[in-house]
Amino acid sequence: MAEKLLTQRNAWDRVLSSLKKRSLWMLHYCTGCGAIELPPTMTARYDMERFGIMPMVTPRQADILLITGYLSVKTLKRVILIYEQMQSPKYVVGFGSCTINGGMYWNSYSTIKSLDQYLPVELFLAGCMPRPEAIIAGFNALMDKIDQGKANSWEDYYKNYEFYRKNQQHAFGDIETHHDIPSDGAYFGILEADK
Amino acid sequence: MNAGVGLIVWIILYPLVAFSLGVLLGGYGRKFTARVQRRVGPSWIQPFYDVIKLMGKRTNISHGYMHDVSIILLLGGTVMTLYFVPVPGYHFFGQFGDFIVVMYLILIPSLGMALGVGQTANPNGSIGISRALQMLAGYELTFMLAFIGLAMKHHTTSMYDVILAQQTGGIATWSIVTDPLLGIAALFALQGMLNEKPFEVIMAPHEIATGPMTEMGGKYLGMMFIQHLILLVMELTFFINLFLGGALNWFEYIIKLFAVFTVVLSVNAVYGRFRTDTALRFFWKLPLPLAALGVLGIQFLAK
Repeated sequence: MAEKLLTQRNAWDRVLSSLKKRSLWMLHYCTGCGAIELPPTMTARYDMERFGIMPMVTPRQADILLITGYLSVKTLKRVILIYEQMQSPKYVVGFGSCTINGGMYWNSYSTIKSLDQYLPVELFLAGCMPRPEAIIAGFNALMDKIDQGKANSWEDYYKNYEFYRKNQQHAFGDIETHHDIPSDGAYFGILEADK
Repeated sequence: MNAGVGLIVWIILYPLVAFSLGVLLGGYGRKFTARVQRRVGPSWIQPFYDVIKLMGKRTNISHGYMHDVSIILLLGGTVMTLYFVPVPGYHFFGQFGDFIVVMYLILIPSLGMALGVGQTANPNGSIGISRALQMLAGYELTFMLAFIGLAMKHHTTSMYDVILAQQTGGIATWSIVTDPLLGIAALFALQGMLNEKPFEVIMAPHEIATGPMTEMGGKYLGMMFIQHLILLVMELTFFINLFLGGALNWFEYIIKLFAVFTVVLSVNAVYGRFRTDTALRFFWKLPLPLAALGVLGIQFLAK
């Protein structure tokens, strides 16, 4: 029954998701080198805004959290704080090979290797680094996923919070975040489907 | 009977019509800016997608009671003010409240925003609010002075009577033609009221992270977007009603809305942002003396 409720989408949901995919606001966390590919993606040459994707400045307003390149253990802590401040549905996009398997920082003592151990990643953009065409193609894939109602990895963070929490604590010990994720999920009815 | 039904229909539909016009204007604004920057730009109804997306958020973090109430105050105050603004075919509440009432009521949304942002306790938000109140001393004073000039000329403070007085002789009796000093001053003030560059000091995304909107997300931001779009239409309508002779029909009204907004956007597209003190100093140096000169002209040059 619960499974059916999750997958069932009526006509109204379809209309809504086809409208929602047209507006994606992006918060880019650009400590890695991939940030250099973003200005051409936003400006006249490739113009990301024609898909309704535009940069936003605060986590409260953003839908996409774009992690460009490697994350050191220290910055991962900040990224988690930022991610938890964002309002669901929210989509983490891992940009470049560093977020997939560590990339050229594989041997580093201070960077994490795989982002999806710590946050639920919706989409990876492979490449070192991905060109603006690849970024646009990736965002189009994300829009298609939203349209089909399959971009639900953000629910994973509420449902499998123990898994992410354990990995986060393994990376940098105990941290205090501002949000109590399990009670948030219960309050907003995201965890109800499990019962 | 028919008039009563028509009035009720107007009261229900007017905010929706203003919102729809706001969506078109907002989309036009973003498209216009994109074309100036040689981009394709977003959809023509992009604000509509944004509002739907924001209202469809699953989690909406509240910072407390005042944060929730402030959004109601923000939207409710704006809609209430809107009812006092005459448009073609509707001036019912305009009989009971003149432009001075409108200028008082329009402070309610600002007050609501200030209270709500105060509870979110974000320093960027507080800076945004303090800037908004400082900027009031710039554009509000200028716009009011320009309006006082018109009120002295036509011996009325009612927006509807000012429109009627301007419609007696076509374009030649529009306030912007008869009193160009007041019109130009009000156009400067409109740029500030609409919070467009070079007076975009309240939002200033790259400096204080959208100011008052910093902690707003999900449905809160959605409501603020709706309010912003209605306010956009309302403030452009002030200028049209007071200086461009109002409008006889909706076609003329929409043409004038887009024309005035294009002027504002053209300035917005090519200028950077003033600092708060520079913006205030600019208002007190150029538009305010212009408006004062216009008022003096009406006082002494009129027969």
